[in-house]
Amino acid sequence: MDYLSKKYLRPRKIPSSACSGCGLGMNHKAVIQAVYELGLEVDDIVWGTSIGCAGRQTFGTWKGDGFAGTHGRVYAIARGLRLALPPEKKIILTVGDGDAFGIGLLHLIHAARSNADLTIIVNDNLGYMSTGGQYGWTTPHGTKSDSSPYGMYEHNMVSDGMDVLGVLKNAGATFLARHVSMDGPRAVESIKKGIANRGLSLIHIVYPCPTNVGSRELGTRDAVTIYNWIKNQAAPIGQERSDTLWATGVYHDASNSRPEFSESIHQHVGRIRRQRLYENKI
Amino acid sequence: MKRYLETGNFAVTEGAILAGCRFFAGYPITPATELAEAMSYRMPQVDGIYIQGEDECAALHLCIGAALGGYKAMTATSGPGYILYADPYGWAIGCEIPVVILNSGRVGPVSGITGAPGQGEFYLTRYPTQGGNFETIVLAPNSAQEAMAMTVEAFYLAERFRTPVTILADQLVTDGFEDISVPENEEEMKAMGFRTWPRGINRGPVFYPPTDEIDIPPVVLGHNTGALCSDWTPTEEGYDTEEVVAHHKHAYRLIFKIRNHKDLFNHLYEKTFMDDDPDLVVVSYGTPSRVVNTAVKKARQEGLKVGALRLIHLWPFPDEHFKKKTKYLSVELNWDGQLVREVRRAAHKDAEVHFVGSCGDLPAVAELLEVFEKLLKGQPLARKGWELEEW
Amino acid sequence: MKTRSEILASGFGGQGVVRLGQVLGEAAVKQGYRVTMLKSHGTEMRGGYVRSQVVISKEPIDSPMVEFPDLFVALSLAAYRAFKHLVKEGRILYDPAFVVEIDQGLGCIQTPVPAKNVSVENFGRPVFANTIMLGVIADVMKTLDPEIILQSILQIIPKYHEENKKAFEIGYALLGNNR
Repeated sequence: MDYLSKKYLRPRKIPSSACSGCGLGMNHKAVIQAVYELGLEVDDIVWGTSIGCAGRQTFGTWKGDGFAGTHGRVYAIARGLRLALPPEKKIILTVGDGDAFGIGLLHLIHAARSNADLTIIVNDNLGYMSTGGQYGWTTPHGTKSDSSPYGMYEHNMVSDGMDVLGVLKNAGATFLARHVSMDGPRAVESIKKGIANRGLSLIHIVYPCPTNVGSRELGTRDAVTIYNWIKNQAAPIGQERSDTLWATGVYHDASNSRPEFSESIHQHVGRIRRQRLYENKI
Repeated sequence: MKRYLETGNFAVTEGAILAGCRFFAGYPITPATELAEAMSYRMPQVDGIYIQGEDECAALHLCIGAALGGYKAMTATSGPGYILYADPYGWAIGCEIPVVILNSGRVGPVSGITGAPGQGEFYLTRYPTQGGNFETIVLAPNSAQEAMAMTVEAFYLAERFRTPVTILADQLVTDGFEDISVPENEEEMKAMGFRTWPRGINRGPVFYPPTDEIDIPPVVLGHNTGALCSDWTPTEEGYDTEEVVAHHKHAYRLIFKIRNHKDLFNHLYEKTFMDDDPDLVVVSYGTPSRVVNTAVKKARQEGLKVGALRLIHLWPFPDEHFKKKTKYLSVELNWDGQLVREVRRAAHKDAEVHFVGSCGDLPAVAELLEVFEKLLKGQPLARKGWELEEW
Repeated sequence: MKTRSEILASGFGGQGVVRLGQVLGEAAVKQGYRVTMLKSHGTEMRGGYVRSQVVISKEPIDSPMVEFPDLFVALSLAAYRAFKHLVKEGRILYDPAFVVEIDQGLGCIQTPVPAKNVSVENFGRPVFANTIMLGVIADVMKTLDPEIILQSILQIIPKYHEENKKAFEIGYALLGNNR
């Protein structure tokens, strides 16, 4: 265990039970690095997760308080919790692509609408991998999986001019970024901005799954192969090539530009109560 | 004490406030909308929060999140929304989150008639989520005044048992106006039998003891206790595990913490003319029980030895009331017969169990009297359309 | 009074059927009675059917159902047809602007109350028909004190106090010796 793991993570869950070669650890590390660089302590953060690979592998790793919601609902739980916790407590959610962009999208959009102060890290392994490898809403066209043996042929949410981050931007999210797990310090910088934003921040990070995506699409579980496959199809925003699937960097930064959900609600409640007191109706 | 002519929805709102509820997440649905409206008006006045979920599923999840942060929280809906609770309900049972849910029953299935009463969720409240291995607590008031009392009681039981509690009302209870008395201080609350339980904070490291113990404070996040809770089978410290032995411990706890402490709520029933071993016991809950009571009183005037048993806590089912070898008649606001199945299961092996259902409206006193007479004479129930279908 | 009085009011949405029941119920509460009032209505706020069932009693009330109304206020033809047979020894008050066909074969007293037209004549619009009807009810119903009914109207309807007072008085005097 390195210094950061010792400081922030529970020894019981390190090493994780992830498959060999799984890229989730890189994303997890980037989040911890960002937390460290912001000078945050264990008690400053409540950590929530969803289900699936990303949720299960990160659940219970944070030394502080933590929870895992049911499929797709963690955004609604987190909003309820946001209203109960003091504003200085950060809530970080590590979730998967199916959870955020499939089953939970309605709740995620409403979390964005309300600009709830949550930092959501969407760890995207390009489909449903903990159930054995079925395609999802970010699986690239033509990619083979157990439920797309002929190649994925549905519209997804990140191709042909569509972008789920655009949906979230229009819904009111105040910080949005996209990375691949090999982005290292660039991803850490985005996560730091996300945590610093008092509002809804989402950082979408594609990571390699050698076990399912590698074996079905690339014909090998060799980690290096899928690392390169992802890395080669990613490029920083502005440097995209014709075959770029993931333009990386900050997609939208309107940090602290809009009232935050819980503060605004508490402010309204306080105002109503004060008015009633003044009118001597309480 | 203040006295009003008000709706059950108003009564529930005041009951929730008395019980310490300061968070209500709603979603509009007839006939529970007025409760959400009343909460939206009252919550800010008592420093509480009202918000609307994007659907009922989110509304209950919002409540759970708020409860996880320390709020006493509540939501309300009708049948079509109650089914969307399946997801969060199971999570709240598993993570042992105290939260209160009101279901104002309307006639179904699906959307049915929005303004007509129904009792179609008797079993749904027992199994509001998948997976089994749990007990639920369900309270069924039959008047606005009692709806207030049962709301207070629901919060009390939710805290002590660390579990969601459903108040199963019907459209007539929540929408109907009635003269109600609202206590204004703690003494008046006590005099009315209202009991409350404060929210505690579990300090760990054991968050889910593998016992049937109650009165353990729930997990509250944000207090740096290292609390963990999730949808997976938990270890005692809250870690997710795939160990079957851990699951046995958890399932035991979820079932027997409630079964082994039924004494906390098994006084919640009402008996009318039941002291002389009546030849016919009429069983019901909710608003139909009020028509039953009128009918039973009339029957007694006519010399029929009929008694009425009204259930207030429905689940866990009070089997102990059905040990007499007699005739039972279940009167329900549905045609398929739900309560009657449970009565038949619980009843003495030589008891006779009958059913009269009405669909979308209350049964009439005259109809019930006719049924009582027939049953007491051992005659088959006359079939008048569907209403008097024998189960 | 007898131990239990039952009042049924039914008509279209928007006529104030629920409010009418609420006023009578509130007046009864003020006089120390026990009260229940069921309301049933369709999804639509206006235009659907609406029914109020009010029970007033000195004792706690078991069944809140109105099965033998002492008073039935019929404000639509459909409502009249649906519930007229429930009235045995009681009385029906109906507004002939809506209930255009009367069953002469009923055994009970049936009294036309042209509340809508009277409202239009006196106030230029029909919105005070409900209060006029309440005035008539105060006149014919012996259980409740007319003063307390008026007080309840003013409490429950926050607007147009002067007009409502006047409408109530018009209603109270409307039947005269014909009651």
